Amino acid sequence: MGLLSRKAHDKAARGLCLLITLSAISPLIWIVASIIANGASAISWEFVTSLPKPFGEGGGGIGHAILGTFIINALASVWGIPAGILTGMYLSEYDRSSRLGSAVRVAVESLAGVPSLIFGIFAFSLIVLAVRHYTALAAAFALGLMMIPLVAKATEESMKVVSDDIREAAIALGIPKWSRTIKIVLSIARGGVLSGSLLAFARISGETAPLLFTALFSYFWPTSLDQPMATLQVVIYNYALSGFDDWILKAWGASLLLMLLVLSINIAVRVSTRQKYAEGA
Amino acid sequence: MGADVELDVLSLNAWFGEKQALKNINIQIPRRTVTAVIGPSGCGKSTFIRCMNRMHELIPGARVAGKVLLGGEDIYTEMDAMDVRRKVGMVFQKPNPFPNMSVEDNVVAGLKLSGGYKKGELGRIAEKNLRAVGLWDEVKDELKKSGASLSGGQQQRLCIARALAMEPEVILMDEPTSALDPASTAKIEELVQKLKAYATIIIITHNVQQAARVSDMTCFFYLGEVVEFDNTKALFEAPKNPLTERYITGRFG
Repeated sequence: MGLLSRKAHDKAARGLCLLITLSAISPLIWIVASIIANGASAISWEFVTSLPKPFGEGGGGIGHAILGTFIINALASVWGIPAGILTGMYLSEYDRSSRLGSAVRVAVESLAGVPSLIFGIFAFSLIVLAVRHYTALAAAFALGLMMIPLVAKATEESMKVVSDDIREAAIALGIPKWSRTIKIVLSIARGGVLSGSLLAFARISGETAPLLFTALFSYFWPTSLDQPMATLQVVIYNYALSGFDDWILKAWGASLLLMLLVLSINIAVRVSTRQKYAEGA
Repeated sequence: MGADVELDVLSLNAWFGEKQALKNINIQIPRRTVTAVIGPSGCGKSTFIRCMNRMHELIPGARVAGKVLLGGEDIYTEMDAMDVRRKVGMVFQKPNPFPNMSVEDNVVAGLKLSGGYKKGELGRIAEKNLRAVGLWDEVKDELKKSGASLSGGQQQRLCIARALAMEPEVILMDEPTSALDPASTAKIEELVQKLKAYATIIIITHNVQQAARVSDMTCFFYLGEVVEFDNTKALFEAPKNPLTERYITGRFG
């Protein structure tokens, strides 16, 4: 085969790859562009700080849903991230090869593949049916559960890559196991654990199904964790299906806010991992 | 011998699963001396020193039988493994400072993380031990930088300072210079001589000349057995066993 022909093949292959890549990301660009185009006009100070107005009146906002999303995400993180870190720590440091360890590993991996709806139904039957009302606590439970496999996997992987030389150094100093696991191995792996936790946070920020079964919705500022609570996700779900122009516009605005939230988390992950490599650790 | 013996090794045997790595080792290591452990690869040198701080038993399937008396106490039956490791420090082949800690924190890591230290004293202890390994003047302005930011030779001296900070009775060194350049190697060798004042040193080396330079006693291992253990001068000038002679003259190994 001649040189020219090889170069032509190379060019053709490159062109094809580029074309396929573009077609793969073009829906994403389309979505992002239409969210910005439709949502930007909804965003105002009133939109992000006030309650919805009674139906028929213009104005009002979704401040309660922004607050609700942050409250529920924070509550989910408060228990989901530590539980995930402990699980990952167990898999990496305490049980790499036993039967129980592999059972836990399979459970974690299966948990990661369970549809989010199932988590919602689970929390619904476990908590909502028991207390006989919708509650933000059930939402935090369901979303926290979804965070566990993501955080556990990230923790396990980033602790496993810590060199055994470091573990031996700690053993040889007579440092107790729990102390060397937390203060040395986990501390060295903290960059990976942090980015895994942020990604899990981003992931649950986009979930709607579990919320419909748990926190449901509210038109008021949150006053208690044990009550229904509005969230951006459910605002989008409710308003987008409503058929009223004002509400649909607000759903676009809520989408834009949610997208910005997830985007800023992803940027935070980028920055935190870049720092990790810069340290050389 | 009595009071002069730091480590009394009696009928020590060690296994990896079915494979026997050490066969009936009986040696007495005198206090405040440097003992070099030499022998070809796979002869049991590393296994031997890892039996001295109970690290051999951490490998799945590994087993130890026999006695190792440290100051008269059996480290296997009369002492807790963690206590043994605080009294018997170790320096590894590859420098392994904790990358998440500063230079200063590396030195006192063992004290800090195994408890039982006086808080106000850590800075002073770090300085004392960095001075002891001759690193203080090189790093005194970089105490807060990561331990991993130092050069290889400096990292290894930092690891020695870290072991020294525990005030151990014995320091085990597993080929501490094999990853270092000649200048850093010379510094470590010089340091090993000084360390005798603080602790009994057992050093594995692949370099027979290094053993002759740094040690008072030399122990030659072959196929899991001690072939010859004598003071270094005698062993190098008049080896009793023809195997020892062949090894130190470079005819095998």
